[in-house]
Amino acid sequence: MKDIVLLIVGAALVNNVVLARFLGLCSFMGVTTKLDTALGMGMATTFVITVSSMADWAIEKFLLVPYDLGYLRTVTFILVIAAAVQFTEMVIRKVSPALFQTLGIYLPLITTNCAVLGVALLLVAGQYNFVESAVFAFASSLGYSLVMAIFAGLRERIALAEVPMLFAGPPIGFVTASLLALAFMGFSGMSTN
Amino acid sequence: MQGEQIEGVARVVAEDGGMVWLEPEPTGSCGGCMSAAICGHKSGSTSRRLAARRFALPNEYALRPGDRVVVGIGERSLLRASLVAYGLPLLGMMGAAITAQVMGAGDGRAVVATLGGLAGGLVAARMAARLLSARGELSPQVLRRAGDECNLD
Repeated sequence: MKDIVLLIVGAALVNNVVLARFLGLCSFMGVTTKLDTALGMGMATTFVITVSSMADWAIEKFLLVPYDLGYLRTVTFILVIAAAVQFTEMVIRKVSPALFQTLGIYLPLITTNCAVLGVALLLVAGQYNFVESAVFAFASSLGYSLVMAIFAGLRERIALAEVPMLFAGPPIGFVTASLLALAFMGFSGMSTN
Repeated sequence: MQGEQIEGVARVVAEDGGMVWLEPEPTGSCGGCMSAAICGHKSGSTSRRLAARRFALPNEYALRPGDRVVVGIGERSLLRASLVAYGLPLLGMMGAAITAQVMGAGDGRAVVATLGGLAGGLVAARMAARLLSARGELSPQVLRRAGDECNLD
């Protein structure tokens, strides 16, 4: 249990997927203008990253390693991620058409970004077992959602502030993101995972 | 009832009696994806996906096909919808996986337990979605007509 907790802290805070590994920056800047949409996007991405990472673990263990097909890893993972995204959309539509429509209007249901592939490749490098892989992917995406929510909250406040004209818009967003990254550097040294 | 609203833009694609069929304009994960989808570079798959997301609302603004409207839903409703759609299945999946690990199950059994947890989570999500739907929390409302400008935000 201690290992799992350390894995979660390491993946979510110390090696945060956005602020330490610089993955998923497109959605980090693009979907963080409102807190609620950022949280929704975070949850969608968390689901996709976790499901696709589990599938990637299985493909790696039962196909790529036994048949020595490591050179096909990136291509295979991209295919698996695309399938996982389609699966997510199909399942939500089947579970509740009303939910599917509501989310479809306000949130991007197709949530692929480089963080999804990045986490899958990190799993391979970490040589985890199935549950560790799932926990690592889940914790990484929790870290992504956390940063999205914090940044969205900050941007909502900045929108109400008087920002000098030269810094208004994206520049103050980048300055804020860099300060947030510095704050997250405070977690380094807590865990080596 | 729902406090602040989250807004989205939809286009009227058909009129049927007192109802209009609306197609949401794509929400991209970044401005580039969004402008590419809105400004005439729609791929076939994007068009098909948007068609699958059509929904009907009462025609309170005498809308006609081609009109763009702003539709809104309560902030809390969107958050609840995301929690139900993604949170419950994730909770089921991760709960089952971690329980399997703590009980000392191998990879094979952990995979089976995780799939079982996912199935349980989906069943819970289906029931919760029905509850939300019955309370009218999943129904957006037409707020106003939208401008015709291309949104490159």
